[in-house]
Amino acid sequence: MMAAGKPNGKYRTAILLAVWALGLFIFTLYSGLK
Amino acid sequence: MTDAAHAHGHDDHSHHAPPAGVMRWLTTTNHKDIGSLYLWFALIMLFTAGSMALLIRAELFQPGLQLTNPDFFNQLTTMHGLIMIFGVIMPAFSGFANWQVPLMLGAPDMAFPRMNNWAFWILPVAGVLLMGSFLLPGGAVAGGWTMYPPLFIQGGISYDLTILAVHIMGLSSIMGSINIITTILNMRAPGLTLMKMPLFCWTWLITAYLLIATMPVLAGAVTMLLTDRNFGTSFFNAAGGGDPVMFQHIFWFFAHPEVYILILPAFGIVSSIIPTFARKPLFGYASMVYATASIAILSFIVWAHHMFAVGMPAAAQLFFMFSTMLIAVPTGVKVFNWVATMWKGSMTFETPMLFAIAFVCLFTIGGFSGLVLAIAPVDIQLHDTYYVVAHFHYVLVSGALFSIFAGIYYWLPKWSGYMYDETLGKWHFWLSVIGMNIVFFPMHFLGLAGMPRRIPDYALQFTEFNQIATVGAFIFGFSQLIFLVVVLRAAKGGVKATDRVWEGAEGLEWTLPSPAPYHTFETAPVVK
Repeated sequence: MMAAGKPNGKYRTAILLAVWALGLFIFTLYSGLK
Repeated sequence: MTDAAHAHGHDDHSHHAPPAGVMRWLTTTNHKDIGSLYLWFALIMLFTAGSMALLIRAELFQPGLQLTNPDFFNQLTTMHGLIMIFGVIMPAFSGFANWQVPLMLGAPDMAFPRMNNWAFWILPVAGVLLMGSFLLPGGAVAGGWTMYPPLFIQGGISYDLTILAVHIMGLSSIMGSINIITTILNMRAPGLTLMKMPLFCWTWLITAYLLIATMPVLAGAVTMLLTDRNFGTSFFNAAGGGDPVMFQHIFWFFAHPEVYILILPAFGIVSSIIPTFARKPLFGYASMVYATASIAILSFIVWAHHMFAVGMPAAAQLFFMFSTMLIAVPTGVKVFNWVATMWKGSMTFETPMLFAIAFVCLFTIGGFSGLVLAIAPVDIQLHDTYYVVAHFHYVLVSGALFSIFAGIYYWLPKWSGYMYDETLGKWHFWLSVIGMNIVFFPMHFLGLAGMPRRIPDYALQFTEFNQIATVGAFIFGFSQLIFLVVVLRAAKGGVKATDRVWEGAEGLEWTLPSPAPYHTFETAPVVK
């Protein structure tokens, strides 16, 4: 169905971004603890 | 640029028609529907927060307390700021991204349509939490949109609701950003390399990265506020060994890039419009891309210029002062390129172009007053005065909001299939540009004279400039009703728009019929 571009890479891109966002959130909390 | 005139999709038979009525909008996964939802939401919030601004200006028409009490006044300024930023400018740009990014890339939809639906529909929940807090005991939050402790630790239940609303809006932004980055990186039409993308896609790609890199930080900061308020922690509570200034550092690490989140998509819109009406390609495309990226990178190392008055070592003041001034270089490149695009162009001055030119002139004024405020010793004098209010309204009203108006007038014929009323559009433009300057220009003088911001009453010598500003505010505010009429009329009917709409328009979206069909680019176009 997805005709354009490289649709198979989209889940990898999205997961990397989501992991980054979650990691940054946890790191911010961790920074506050110190 | 493209060979895609025949490559668009049609309302073909491989798709069911969307459900009728409210279910269409609740369950839609179509990027055009979701784009429209974002834009309507932003418009409703614009009138909501705009009404608050008019109440603020009415109170400030003369010294003394006329219409509000100090606490309610603080609630109005806080909610006006929060709603305009998170409920108007950001959703409006998300609306543009949803409509335009797939059309500009030749993609059939966003990468994750269901997540797209969620990203929008949690927003009204946040809006209800924010607005509903006016009805709670103690009223809405009154500690300023910056949410600084100790005020934000001490307030009532509405402060918890606001923290929840900020979490929801942040989650919405992160989901939207993941969608936009993934769509741009993975779903461009064959042949459409990154350096061939329309600049609007570039600015949104960089904006989405900024959102991903800062929204989790804001989420962390407000989570710590929440635990300080409800679970006995002392992250920011000095009485328990915490540090309120740490909140300011964390908050501005988010909020300065946020300023560019609010303006980079505006750069993209204006960079689409000016070449069309100058009938010339954008001058210095590559330098525009690099300038956008430079602004984004620099935005991470300037945050403490918001905190000069807190007190910091001279070396830190110098660092944040000069790094802030450095942002003028890539921004100057952009302004130069817009002017160079217009230079010797066959210019015409339809409403989108008028708003785009006003953007270039007036945003630059906001940029210059930003340079003034970057000077640490000057900032210590002007901190929390009306000079700052003038500065950021030139950036966000004549900058971000004017670009949104420009973009709506520019792409609405493609979206609805009907031309807007050019005469009413010009009335809207001239009343807005005159009204806006009458409101905000005198605020520079008020700030230089020492009038503090966020006060409902003021000393007698500030009266005249405040009265001028209030008259301007009502001109500006009521002229937005013309915009409402123009949009409603062009959404319903009128003169049919041609497919290309504008003589000088270039790009994949203009190869589609007007209005753009419900499903587009199911077969990818080939870009040469």
